[in-house]
Amino acid sequence: MISIKSINSMEDKNTITGTPVSRIDGILKVTGKADYSTDHPIKNPAYAVIFKSTIAAGKITDIDTSLAEKSPGVLSVITHKNAPKLNTKGGIRGGAMLQSPDIYFYGQHIGVVVAETFEQARHAAHLVQVKYEKKEGKLDFEKLAEDAVLPKDKEKADAKRGDAKKALEIADVKVEEIYSTPIEHHHPMEPHATIAEWQGENVILYNSSQIVNGAQSAAAATLNLKPENVRIVSPYIGGGFGSKGGQWGNLVLAAVAAKMVNRPVKLALTRQQMFNSVGLRQRNLQKVSLAATKDGKLTALAHEITTHAAMQDEFVEPCGDCSKIMYDSPNSLITYRVVAMNLILPTYTRGPGKSTGSFALESAMDELAFKLKMDPIEFRLKNEPERDPSNGKPWSSRTTVQCLKEGAKAFGWEKRKAEPGQNQQGNYLVGYGVSCGTYPAHQRPSSANVKLKRDGNNVTATIELAAADLGTGTYTILAQTAADALDLPINKINVKIGDSDFPPAAGSVGSVGATSYANVVNDACIKVTDELIARSGKQFFVRPTAAKLMISENVSEFQTRADSKELEGAENYSSHSFNANFAEVWVDISTGMVKVERFLAVTGAGKILNPKTARSQIIGGNTWGIGMALTEESLIDPRWGNFATRSLADYHVPSNLDIGTMEAIFIREEDKAGNKLGVKGIGEVGIVGVAAAIANAVFNATGKRVRQLPITPDKLL
Amino acid sequence: MRPFKYTNAKNISSATKLLEGNVKAKFLAGGTNLLDLMKEDVEQPDELIDITRLDLAQIKIITAGANSGGISIGGLGRNTETANHPIIRQNYPLLTQAILAGASGQIRNMATNGGNLLQRTRCSYFYDVNMPCNKRQPGSGCGAMEGINRMHAIFGWSEKCVAVYPSDMSVALSALNAAVTVRNAGGQERSIAFSDFHRLPENKPEQDTNLNPGEIITAIEIPKNNFAAHSYYLKVRDRASYAFALVSVAAALELNSNKIVQARIALGGVAHKPWRALKAEKMLVGKEATEANFKMAADAEMADARPLEHNKFKVELGNRSIVRALQMAFNSGRS
Ligand SMILES: Cc1cc2nc3c(=O)[nH]c(=O)nc-3n(C[C@H](O)[C@H](O)[C@H](O)COP(=O)(O)OP(=O)(O)OC[C@H]3O[C@@H](n4cnc5c(N)ncnc54)[C@H](O)[C@@H]3O)c2cc1C
Repeated sequence: MISIKSINSMEDKNTITGTPVSRIDGILKVTGKADYSTDHPIKNPAYAVIFKSTIAAGKITDIDTSLAEKSPGVLSVITHKNAPKLNTKGGIRGGAMLQSPDIYFYGQHIGVVVAETFEQARHAAHLVQVKYEKKEGKLDFEKLAEDAVLPKDKEKADAKRGDAKKALEIADVKVEEIYSTPIEHHHPMEPHATIAEWQGENVILYNSSQIVNGAQSAAAATLNLKPENVRIVSPYIGGGFGSKGGQWGNLVLAAVAAKMVNRPVKLALTRQQMFNSVGLRQRNLQKVSLAATKDGKLTALAHEITTHAAMQDEFVEPCGDCSKIMYDSPNSLITYRVVAMNLILPTYTRGPGKSTGSFALESAMDELAFKLKMDPIEFRLKNEPERDPSNGKPWSSRTTVQCLKEGAKAFGWEKRKAEPGQNQQGNYLVGYGVSCGTYPAHQRPSSANVKLKRDGNNVTATIELAAADLGTGTYTILAQTAADALDLPINKINVKIGDSDFPPAAGSVGSVGATSYANVVNDACIKVTDELIARSGKQFFVRPTAAKLMISENVSEFQTRADSKELEGAENYSSHSFNANFAEVWVDISTGMVKVERFLAVTGAGKILNPKTARSQIIGGNTWGIGMALTEESLIDPRWGNFATRSLADYHVPSNLDIGTMEAIFIREEDKAGNKLGVKGIGEVGIVGVAAAIANAVFNATGKRVRQLPITPDKLL
Repeated sequence: MRPFKYTNAKNISSATKLLEGNVKAKFLAGGTNLLDLMKEDVEQPDELIDITRLDLAQIKIITAGANSGGISIGGLGRNTETANHPIIRQNYPLLTQAILAGASGQIRNMATNGGNLLQRTRCSYFYDVNMPCNKRQPGSGCGAMEGINRMHAIFGWSEKCVAVYPSDMSVALSALNAAVTVRNAGGQERSIAFSDFHRLPENKPEQDTNLNPGEIITAIEIPKNNFAAHSYYLKVRDRASYAFALVSVAAALELNSNKIVQARIALGGVAHKPWRALKAEKMLVGKEATEANFKMAADAEMADARPLEHNKFKVELGNRSIVRALQMAFNSGRS
């Protein structure tokens, strides 16, 4: 059951922004008319199927494609022996582009079969015979963790304030524990898929891309083309969660295949292939040490992270970010150590670093509150920082206190029993848990066209920018924004996005999409009106709308382009979205099965452009957080380096029955330090803290502290 | 998927003859298991004999023979229709519960009763053709034995195979002493007791059942019983629905006030076949239906468990689940 109880961000009188407009692309989607990447109608396509290495480290000594080539319908079999030379430093992530016989991870792409049908291609892929020279792989994280070293990434250098180790030594009360989070996979509903179509020297790539311009530049550089020779078309995206932010080998292999067979090619990954093709959320071991005085004032906060990256490349998710800014402690230490493994390159995964880091930090906060015999909300309030502790900057706005207080009231926190194991209902133990979360808020450079058209007295506007809609509601909020800025009804606005032929825009990544897109569209609409006023040469007492000017000045077509970036002075503030999460869990006493009966997220994320799509973002993030807490885990067999969890029957995302009552409340605020509209972004913050709230609730229910996700029944017996 | 020939069977006799005539042929029922395995290249039939149009879907009360008064469910009846049939709901609710605890609504709509019984293990080493697996490729070794074996067997496994059999429906059928009716190409019918239908792996893990080549499952018979008021199917899994069992228990009691006249307990998710807890059953007969007695029976049964590296928890979980399922059965499904 899902209840709708969202509070609008502001009293937006007479504006359509801020109101719960249903998705303008909703009908297209539910009627199957939205053409996702490979749905795009294309004449005479061939089908490509990738095949993969079955060792984790070593090299291919022989690859025999003769049987596959003779198989019915096969047009071409591409391997490192006949693939064209590509630029492997062009920005495609994870290697695996058939450029050498070397193998760095199990399931690395080693070839592509192109055939008349998908079935023929898949069958022929089984007929390829590969011989390897196998090397011992680095596959056992538990053992390798001891050899982890300082990352190359400067952002991950040791960050010290005061002397946390010393403060821990002399502390009244402390917690020092290791929290473990498993490898997770993004598994968007739509697997990564591409149609590549060459037109002379130009290639069109219909491809699911969270960053349209990023996909364009990476594909161009890798294929040794100029960006203008590559067009990315990505009008609809069936989810991405970070895995479609950077682009992976499959994108350029589609282009290579299309070139080699001289025909458009469709290449879609299978669900099984998704496990080792498009990144993953890395395994993290996080030691969190907290010290406090007897009355609950933090004196030390240390967060020491050990994780893994790939053999050829490094990616370390910023698990220490929440610990940097959430609480006021005079002594702080954040460190990262990383070890290379024969595994696909980890990558951005919803709430990168914050969702995993907050599990460690917010669990430890709960553990320390318990030791202090303090209510965990009160404990957090007591350590609320006035300024960003990591850099001393003032907050552009910080809503943690409101989120906690309003949430406690709405959730009925007072019913929580402080002692664990005290609330039994039949065969269940019931517990309440709380946590906080945060995610940075930024506007990124973006440009947009607004094109006005008049037909008699009917004025319509078309908005164009290379933005992405991951299924989040970008189309809708941009139509709302333009409708208000132009003072036109929303049905007169035509939003066109997801095409690199449009003005360049930020990606729908890192929670910058809504802020960057809405602000540039707003700017473009104001600019077009300004330009129409200037063009009229008249002076107005009351600012006329663009539509009125088009009519009164008898203009039939008019357009402009705006280029926007974060407001000047934004860098003087620390800008973040904040939340507080409340979970009620029921734990089956005999079987250890956990049900999240109620979940409430209270979020302060600036101006909420559309409470309906915003709420979907939050409860979507919460739902993945429930998966992170209870069910999701990818397991490697260290003997081979393959994933033993290899389909959605083994990798458990929550089912409908796992989700109880979900409620989202937004704090009324506008934060205009960084952008004119006062928007902060909500894509990531919805998952941050969720796992900790649930683990804390499980502790409150049972007295068992689970520090190793996911909390499956066996861990509660 | 390898190319294959598709044949539409006209009647039972032609279906079985076709199968007998081609060792590489397979019956196609709902296809929900077979087609997945073909896409993975695990199953490699060169011919599919579609049997879905055969007249084998009826559910009817048995009027003669050893199981007279019991019920016969057709081999090609769909799981959804079987679970929701009024007689099954009323007289064999354990079967209804077990079927509905499996898969998803969409899959149950396609899945047939015969296909359900013959579904293959979900062991990921079996599913991945690049891994060793004696069941898929005899002699290649068992990937799970020293691999990731959290989901695997704690009873009855052999050095050759530690896979578990995944069907929920079969766990209930095992507890209800069902029998499987099969027919061969010569038209001869035989009845196989449920406990003899599935096999333990022993030295031949590639063979899941004692079905002979060319035989078709025509029906499943369940004898009449007095369990309807006190039966319960408990399924413990990693999420609330749409996951295979870590452990499941089909429990049924026949009571004379609080005294146990007959007890049936079968476990799923613990062995290569539904695991009848015969020791526990025997201990309960004639005893009072108390938690202490349930616990004693569970302890006795689970004492024989032989867990692997990652599934030690199944011993305790199995123990608790037996107690819980018996309690639920005793309380007529109310906790
Ligand atoms: C995602 C997913 C989740 C699932 N979860 C569960 C679960 O939680 N619990 C559970 O119990 N099951 C589960 N299942 C399995 C499901 O129950 C089986 O796939 C289904 O019952 C098989 O029936 P079918 O008719 O589709 O068989 P098919 O796939 O058509 O056939 C299976 C096998 O049986 C043979 N066969 C079929 N009918 C006959 C017959 N009459 N005589 C002789 N041979 C025959 C076929 O040749 C084939 O070898 C799940 C399946 C999927 C895909």
